[in-house]
Amino acid sequence: MSDAIQVSELKKSYGSHIILKGLNFQIEKREIFALCGVNGAGKTTALECIEGLRKYDSGTVTVNGKVGIQLQSSSLPAYIRPIEAVKLFAKWNRTKFDYAMLNSLGIKEFEKKQYIQLSTGQKRRLHLALALIGNPDIIFLDEPAAGLDAEGRISLHEQIRKLKSHGKTIVLASHDMAEVESLCDRIAILDNGRIVFCGTVSELAGKVGGKYFIHIKTQQGDKTFETDNIEDTLISLLNELKQKKIHVLDIKVDSGTLEQHFIEMARRKTE
Amino acid sequence: MNGFLYGVVLQWKLDIRSKSLLVTCYIIPLIFFLLMGGIFTSVMPEMRSTLIQSMVVMNVSMGAFIGLPSSLVETYGTDVKKVYKANGVPLYLGFVTMFLSAFVHLMISSAIILLLAHILFEAALPVQFPVFFLALDIYIIASLGIGSILGLIVKSQAKLAVIAQLVFLPSVMLSGIMFPASLLPSFLETIGRVFPASWGYKLILNNGFCFANLWYLVFVFCVAIIICLVLLNRQKFK
Repeated sequence: MSDAIQVSELKKSYGSHIILKGLNFQIEKREIFALCGVNGAGKTTALECIEGLRKYDSGTVTVNGKVGIQLQSSSLPAYIRPIEAVKLFAKWNRTKFDYAMLNSLGIKEFEKKQYIQLSTGQKRRLHLALALIGNPDIIFLDEPAAGLDAEGRISLHEQIRKLKSHGKTIVLASHDMAEVESLCDRIAILDNGRIVFCGTVSELAGKVGGKYFIHIKTQQGDKTFETDNIEDTLISLLNELKQKKIHVLDIKVDSGTLEQHFIEMARRKTE
Repeated sequence: MNGFLYGVVLQWKLDIRSKSLLVTCYIIPLIFFLLMGGIFTSVMPEMRSTLIQSMVVMNVSMGAFIGLPSSLVETYGTDVKKVYKANGVPLYLGFVTMFLSAFVHLMISSAIILLLAHILFEAALPVQFPVFFLALDIYIIASLGIGSILGLIVKSQAKLAVIAQLVFLPSVMLSGIMFPASLLPSFLETIGRVFPASWGYKLILNNGFCFANLWYLVFVFCVAIIICLVLLNRQKFK
């Protein structure tokens, strides 16, 4: 079987608030797979249901392999030292911790500090190390780059690629499409509790390619316009503003994120 | 060393590093003891015969109802619990290790009170040390059981600070350690008997170790452990 994870009709609600409305997807072994979506789309809930940390209402989840988990919001006792946490978790997983892995994550630099004294980046690295302690086959990373500076992100991305090269399956939840585009083999986009796209990054790019966003700042406020023809749209917008005697303060044109485009498309479809 | 033993030793170290435990298990009880010991023995010299027992009950009440729950909330009211679950560390580990660590700290601070009370205030030592320490062990365990329920139910340190006082203050004021419980109005005396402190105090007094003073503490401990197991089980999937 080449699937590391199979999810079928996964549903979850909190009281009357439905979070997941029946998710279906598979994650292949040795791929980097991302669950994407805006805040509140249900990424963390979906991930926690798959990880076994949260009960789900219905559906089936099959996970083939040993799991390591880095949570989005993580904490440890304030006075514990990284090396003590690593030893504790290694002993419970009945495994010897890998000094090379600790070195590659830079844990050695701050292993004797107390948790309360660590920076956000150091805490993230420590929690990634804890997730890797049991030598898992499948690694879940929930918003792994949150709170990291540019250097920290680059180092984390290198680490994730290295894990893939060692045959690990990586599942990450992220709302950072730049990160997803550079790292992932396949992505699923969650919107309002449903998967609105599941496929490779290039498939997504093909679907939404050629779309641009024009952001215009005026004295009356900011507005964003979506277009596939920058030149014509820009000219007509500027003419319109000139006729209305609205003073333009700033104009920016960008290609938007894949996620912005796709969610826009999905919303249009449901409308 | 296996995971459990390592967890126990680690918790012991964490508790020493934590200033809150130092305050609730050592500094405040010892300051209170030095003040009250001086006052009691000079105003009522006959208090020397029960000074050790009174101050030990106050010390245990503070450590069990204010100290332990605070440590438990730090784990079970926060994301620490989720990290334990996610990384294969059983949820009961924090509870058991904190319970054991608090037990040892309370035994140490009680022993310090016992020694200092005799040296500084000429307090009467227990007639039978083994019986005294056995009774003290039972009382500490019952009190830590109540403290554990508080720590597992309450989710924030702010709420805990208020709720813990609702258990700690009646334990100290109505248990008979400050003045004889028989002097209290009958309804307050009855309320005082709900808290383990009044039973623990009677149990650790000389000649107090008997079934009549023991059964309630054993009952409280058993009920507390059942409640704690239910609460831990409920935390498994949230």
